[in-house]
Amino acid sequence: MRRLHPFTLLALAAALPLLAWILPAPRGALAPALAAATLAAAAGPRRVLLPALLTAAPLWFFLFILHGVGGMLVFGVRLTAMIASFVWLVAVLPPARLVEAMVAAGWGAPSAYLFAATLSAVPLLQQRARRIVEAQRCRGLSPRGSPLARLRALRALALPLVLSALHEVDERALALETRGLGAGHRRTPLAPPPDSALQQAARLALLLACGLALAWRLR
Amino acid sequence: MSIRLLALIPVAVAINLALSAAVDATGLPLFLDTVGTILASALAGPVVGIGTGALTSLTNSLRNPTFLPFVAVQVIVALYAWGAARAGLFRNLRAAVPTGLGLGVIASATSTPISYHMFGCSTTGGIALATALGKSLGFSPLGACFFGSFVSDFGDKAVSFALVATVLHALPRRTAARFPLALRAIGLRGIG
Amino acid sequence: MTRLTLSGVSFWYPAAERPALTDVSLAVAPGEVVALVGGVGAGASTLLLAAAGLAPRVVGGRLTGNVERTVASAIVLPTPWTQVSGMAFTVRDEVAFGPANLGWPIERIWPAVGRAMERLEVGALAERDPATLSGGELQRVILAGALAMEPGLLLLDEPTAELDSSGTQAFWRLVRTLAREDRASVVVATSDIDAVAAFADRVVWLEQGRVRGAGPPAEVLVDEAFLREGPGGPMVVLAWRAAGCAGPLPLTVADAAARWVRP
Repeated sequence: MRRLHPFTLLALAAALPLLAWILPAPRGALAPALAAATLAAAAGPRRVLLPALLTAAPLWFFLFILHGVGGMLVFGVRLTAMIASFVWLVAVLPPARLVEAMVAAGWGAPSAYLFAATLSAVPLLQQRARRIVEAQRCRGLSPRGSPLARLRALRALALPLVLSALHEVDERALALETRGLGAGHRRTPLAPPPDSALQQAARLALLLACGLALAWRLR
Repeated sequence: MSIRLLALIPVAVAINLALSAAVDATGLPLFLDTVGTILASALAGPVVGIGTGALTSLTNSLRNPTFLPFVAVQVIVALYAWGAARAGLFRNLRAAVPTGLGLGVIASATSTPISYHMFGCSTTGGIALATALGKSLGFSPLGACFFGSFVSDFGDKAVSFALVATVLHALPRRTAARFPLALRAIGLRGIG
Repeated sequence: MTRLTLSGVSFWYPAAERPALTDVSLAVAPGEVVALVGGVGAGASTLLLAAAGLAPRVVGGRLTGNVERTVASAIVLPTPWTQVSGMAFTVRDEVAFGPANLGWPIERIWPAVGRAMERLEVGALAERDPATLSGGELQRVILAGALAMEPGLLLLDEPTAELDSSGTQAFWRLVRTLAREDRASVVVATSDIDAVAAFADRVVWLEQGRVRGAGPPAEVLVDEAFLREGPGGPMVVLAWRAAGCAGPLPLTVADAAARWVRP
C-alpha cells in the first residue's frame, strides 16, 4: 500500500467517505466504512485502526445522547468511514512523497510550498506556544481568577507568540525569494513517485464509482 | 501572489493551531482557531485569508477529519474579516469587539447546518455538550444545534477580533506597512 | 568586469523618514572578498538586501541610484531557522531546494548538492530532518543550500553567528577557497573584525548608512578614526597598542609575532 502513488492513496481516502455519505445510511454506508477500517487495520491494528476508533468513539457517544440509536447508526457509520480513511491516509502517505507527486504532476512550486511549509510550521509554533506557557507559569500565571484576569493572561500569552511569528514572515520571504521560489521556473521533482497505467485506471474508476453512486441517489 | 504573502499563509495557519495551548493554560471556554485567518485577511486581503482558512481545515482534518467540512466557516471568517479591515474596524477595541460578536452570529449560522446535517451536531466536545443542554431546554434538534454553536462561537469571535486588533496595533509601523491592508485595518489610511 | 556595482545608492524602508543607506557606491570584482563592518544600524544588512535585489522588490520602500549584478547571487541571512524552506523533510532535499526551484535538470542538481554539502561538512546529516538540527548545524545547511545554487556573487549577513569557534575558522577558510577556486565574489557583513583582518581583500566601514572608509584591511582597520569611532579594532591591534609597542600596527597574530622584538 505504501508504495502506491500518492494520488492513488488520496483517491482512495477521498472516495470511501464520499461513498459513505452518498449511499443510503446506515446499511449502504457500511461497506465503505468497513473498507476503510480494513485498510486502517492492514496498515497497523494498534498504530492506525485503534487511534481511528478512539477518535470516533466520543462522537458515537454524543450521537447516542442527541439522536438515540437510529441517528447514532446513521451518522456514526459515515463518521467512522471518514475518520478511518483519513487516519489511514496520514499513516501511509509521508508528506514528502505527496509534495514530490504534486511537483511531478506540474503543480507550481508555490502551491507545493504552501502545503509542505504549513505541515512544518504548525508543530514548531505549537512547541513555541507551549514554551511561552511554561515560562509564564514559572512567573506565576495560574488558570484561576475572574474572566477579565484570565483574558489579560491570555493576551500576555498570545501576543508575543503571534508577533514573533509575524516578524519571521519577512525573513522567510527573503530566504524563499533568494532560493528561487518566486523565480517562475518549473521546479524539478527530486524523487518523483512511480505511477502506472493500472493505478491511473484505478483512480478513474474510483471517481466514476462516486459519480455513478451520486447519479443513482439523485435519480 | 507575492512571496511575502505566500510565506504569511503557513505562519497564519500555525497561529490558528497553536493558540489552543494558550487558551488551555487560562481555562477559558474559547477556541481562537480563526485568529490566524482573521489576521491574514486583515493584513493581506481575502485570497490570503481564504488560503489560510482552507489550509487550517485541511491540517486539522489530518488529525480529526470531521473538521474538513467546516472549511466553509473559515471562508466566511476570512471574507468577513476582509470587509472589517477595509472598513477600518480594527482601529480600536470598541470597534473590534462588536464586529467580532457579529461574526460570532454569522459563523454559528454557517456551522450549524454543516454540523447538523453531516455529523448530527456531535463533532466538537464543547459544542456537543452545549447542544445537549439546548435540547434539555426544549429546543428543536436544529435549534439546539444552533444554540450549541452560538454559545461557543459568540465569545470566541469577539475575543479573536480583539486579539487581532491588539496585534495589529502592536506591530511596528515599518512591518505593518509591508502588508497591503494592515494600515487601513487600523484606520490609518483613508477609506475609499 | 565587476560582479556587483552599486552607484550612489540610497534606500528608505517603508514608512521610514531617514534613509537606511545614503549615497553608497561599491564595486566588487570576481574572486574578491569584501567585508562590511560597522555598528548596529550602520546599514550593512540593508546594503546586502539592496545588492541581492531584494530591497525594495521584496522588502518594500524606495531606492535611488543604481544596482547592477552581472551574475546570479545568493544571500544568507543571520537567523538560520527562518531560512529553512519548510518544504524539505531531509537535509539533502533542503540543500537541493534552491537548485530544484531554478528548474535545473536532476543530473546537475545532485552533484552540486553533494559538493556544497561536502564543503560545509554536513554530509553526515544528509538524512536528518532539518527541524531536528542544532543552530550551528542548521547554519551550515543553509550556507550549503546557498552554495548549491552555484552563485557567482555570495552575500552573507553575519554568517558565523551560530557557529562555534572551530566552525567559524573553517567557514572563513571556505570563503577564501570559494574566492580562489570558484572565482566567487563574496560580500560579507560581520562583526568578527579579527576574521576580517585575516580573510578579507577589502573592508568597507559603514556608519549610519554611509561609507565612512574603504580599502585593504591593513589600511582601514588600523586607521586612527576607525580604532576610535569604529565598531572595535582587531584584538592584536588593541593588544599591541595597550602594551605600548611602537612601529606600524600588526593585523594578525602571525604579523605581530613576526614583528615582535624579544627583550
